[in-house]
Amino acid sequence: MQPKQALLSFDQSPPLSAPLRFFLTAPLFLVLAGLLVAVEGEALFASRWTPAALAATHLLTIGFMLQVMLGALIQILPVLAGANLARPALIAAIVHPGLSLGTLALAVGFLAGSTAWLYGAGLLLAISLLVFIAAAGWAIFRVPSTSPAIRGLKLSLLALAIAGGSGLFMLLALAGGWAVPLPALANLHAGWGLAGWSGILLAAVAYVVVPMFQLTPGYPARPAWWFPVAVVLALVLWSISVLLDADGLARGAQGLLALSGVAFVLQTLKLQSGRRRARADCTFRYWQGGLYASLAALLMLLLDAFLPALSTAPAWPLLFGVLILVGGFLAFIIGMLYKIIPFLLWFNLQHQAAVPGKPVPSMNKLLDDGEMQRQMRTFFAAFALLTAAVFQPDRLALPAGMIFALAGGWLGWNLLQAALRHRRHRLAGTS
Amino acid sequence: MTIRDFLMEDHRHCDDLFAAAEQSANAGDLAAAGAAFGQFRDAVFRHFAGEEQTLFPAFEARTGMSMGPTQVMRMEHGQMRELIDAAVDALQDGNSEEFFGQAETLLIMMQQHNMKEENVLYPMCDQQLADSSGLLVERLQAELKGA
Repeated sequence: MQPKQALLSFDQSPPLSAPLRFFLTAPLFLVLAGLLVAVEGEALFASRWTPAALAATHLLTIGFMLQVMLGALIQILPVLAGANLARPALIAAIVHPGLSLGTLALAVGFLAGSTAWLYGAGLLLAISLLVFIAAAGWAIFRVPSTSPAIRGLKLSLLALAIAGGSGLFMLLALAGGWAVPLPALANLHAGWGLAGWSGILLAAVAYVVVPMFQLTPGYPARPAWWFPVAVVLALVLWSISVLLDADGLARGAQGLLALSGVAFVLQTLKLQSGRRRARADCTFRYWQGGLYASLAALLMLLLDAFLPALSTAPAWPLLFGVLILVGGFLAFIIGMLYKIIPFLLWFNLQHQAAVPGKPVPSMNKLLDDGEMQRQMRTFFAAFALLTAAVFQPDRLALPAGMIFALAGGWLGWNLLQAALRHRRHRLAGTS
Repeated sequence: MTIRDFLMEDHRHCDDLFAAAEQSANAGDLAAAGAAFGQFRDAVFRHFAGEEQTLFPAFEARTGMSMGPTQVMRMEHGQMRELIDAAVDALQDGNSEEFFGQAETLLIMMQQHNMKEENVLYPMCDQQLADSSGLLVERLQAELKGA
């Protein structure tokens, strides 16, 4: 039909299943990470370099964070940037299984110390990332940077390429027994992945969603334009300092990175305090928790830039990891999932409403606020326990891991229930 | 003033009215919420009418794209009208939970719609209608002032 074609050329809404499949499987990786913490307990908290710690970290960062981020980008690139992703369904069909299976293989490879699994993981993750970066890059780099969000999206995609490339290089080095300075490289890899990709992407999305959905004033333009650039600059300087073995430069770069992050977090807290939504919903509370946990992590990073002796304590990087990953990024992402998913499901029902006059249930009928609130309390309890478990792993790792797995499973359950309610309404509407 | 600047400002004005209504409802003052939401409804419907009767036809005439972006926007206007009517009904029935559910859905619908207009359609309008945008903004200004 001619009109439909024309509609799609502007609307470019990908099929619902394209983003949804990422969102529904991502919580499973939280469950796996939680179970790993419960089972491996003390070993995992002994050092960030233990196989269990590496496996758990990547279950969180690739299995959960990256999955949700890529799924969400497939959905929002057209709306956020007017950048139309070609063949979103095909991209999802390649990237989703590649990323899921690749993450599982990577975790097994770390835990079993198996080169075959590591190579398999490398292959799957490389294909997934290449396909996504090529497709998203093709779409976004043709759009002029008319807003800080678009600039942020472009720079974050570059950072993803660097984080992915460095990760794959280390994986090959690890599996092949190459002589490379893995700890220094791993720090850079984490910096590009967490600050460059996740941090800039979070800011780019926040520039748009915080003012719009919480009805706050907008982000001031100048810092919003500069934040992504400052983060990339800090990461470039840090990378150069590793190559040149220049300790002073490394510390300066780390300080710049931490201060940029602190400025963004404080700005967001300030905007949120001026929000005009009447109720503090689950998304808002998740964001508040995420902002304070990130602030704590960034202050650790700042402190460490000036007093590097601190981070030689094994608990230091683990505490930083729990704060930034679980308390920070996971909280932001879950908070956003609780907004995005009910809306996408509602929007889809609305478009499919074949029977005129048959009302479509509103978002809160698809996913009830009470269910989200209870899951959220469990999640923050798990975060508190994990933080404490860094210092008392022998007693607390088991309960922390179990509660975290519960919170992850509960998230998955809530999202699945919403999808099933959507399905029931859709079937009822078309019959 | 560009078309984008002017209509973006009106979006923010509608946001303000929405926030006022939601806050009254949360404070339990459904009468005040009803009055505030009525103002919001009027402002939004004037905004829709201005777009549908003045801006979109001008864009369609210039570009020949009558089934393109403007058609999607019209469809979403229809969906928002339904949500607004449902929220008005909920307030009249004194059902504040139902009102909050409809209002939440409406806000997200409205904001993603505004995002598409502000980032894609309005810039296209400013570009395509550069020669007549001053006149169009004046007409829209008159129409959005209302009665």
